[in-house]
Amino acid sequence: MNKRSAFTALVAVLTVLLLTATAFAHIVFFACWDNGDGTISCEGGYTDGSSAAGATINVTDADGSLLFSGKLDKSGELKFNKPAGDFAVTLDGGSGHSVTIKGKDIK
Amino acid sequence: MKKIILLALVFIFATAMTCSAHFVMMYTPETILANGGKITVKSVFGHPFAASVTLDMAKPNAFFVVNKGKKTDLLGTLKPITWQSRENSARAWETEYQVKGMGDYIFCLDPVPYFDQTEDKYIQQFTKIIVNNGGLPTDWDAKVGFKTEIVPLDKPYALWTGNVFRGVVLSKGKPVPYAAIEVEYLNHAPNMELNKFAEKAAVQAPHDVFVTMTIKANANGEFTFGIPKAGWWGFAAISSGPDKKLNGKELEQDAVIWIQAQDM
Repeated sequence: MNKRSAFTALVAVLTVLLLTATAFAHIVFFACWDNGDGTISCEGGYTDGSSAAGATINVTDADGSLLFSGKLDKSGELKFNKPAGDFAVTLDGGSGHSVTIKGKDIK
Repeated sequence: MKKIILLALVFIFATAMTCSAHFVMMYTPETILANGGKITVKSVFGHPFAASVTLDMAKPNAFFVVNKGKKTDLLGTLKPITWQSRENSARAWETEYQVKGMGDYIFCLDPVPYFDQTEDKYIQQFTKIIVNNGGLPTDWDAKVGFKTEIVPLDKPYALWTGNVFRGVVLSKGKPVPYAAIEVEYLNHAPNMELNKFAEKAAVQAPHDVFVTMTIKANANGEFTFGIPKAGWWGFAAISSGPDKKLNGKELEQDAVIWIQAQDM
């Protein structure tokens, strides 16, 4: 292996490492809680503590039909009226990073 | 004669070491929550490894929680309870807190100095635990502004067994070089309903040096501890605080933090 190909290999390894690190850093944290006043709040954020402002939130019923759709505000939160029956909340993080929380797990 | 004096001194020191393992314990069953909910936090003054004598805790000077940089006073939410150890029972405190919103919740206790008659001195342990909701890291590495505190370098709620836990000991916000730190394992599971420690110990110590382990910080006030077992571990930086006297007596101001490790 000459110097140039060694350098190319190094760059390739570094690129892979960098891409891996970036992929990990994209993990979305998502949580919802019951406000106790007939409303649910949800919040999304990233591994580095930054908010997932602007991310789309979809609320669906037991059949998967869309009940409500909205976006997280600039502090990464969204409030909506608690649906009557079974429901699920999904944060669409894009590129396979969606997170779904079932209504019954929201305390 | 010299030998006798030396022996006496050694004995006094040994006794003092054994006595000094008082720990303010703050406890809630889960430090990492998925979707918030109501949690109960108990504050007990005692001996976590042996679950021996529990000491009366007066209503604290301050009790608050910090989330996303915002401090919320919880002193008014504290309810007195009677906590039972294996040897006695004593006054302790509990609070219920509704966790809403993601991030770190640092529960902070600033207790009234406790006068220990055996040691003829006051002990005041500024104590904190960190609960996280949803994984979002927000405040865990922040100072809460205690006269002395341990600021973690590893998230206290995201530790596998075998990880290390690192922290910095601060006095008035500045690192304390070579601070002495006592480490104890919560060896008798707390019963949240009955307010008592389980009779059964999780582990047996081969010697008292494993009951209260003493480690030192480095020149920058940082310490590292490898976690050998899942559960709760308490860290108390001894006499790391700035105030040394109260009512003409010695005052020991300690900084305490608790962590929770989980098995892989």
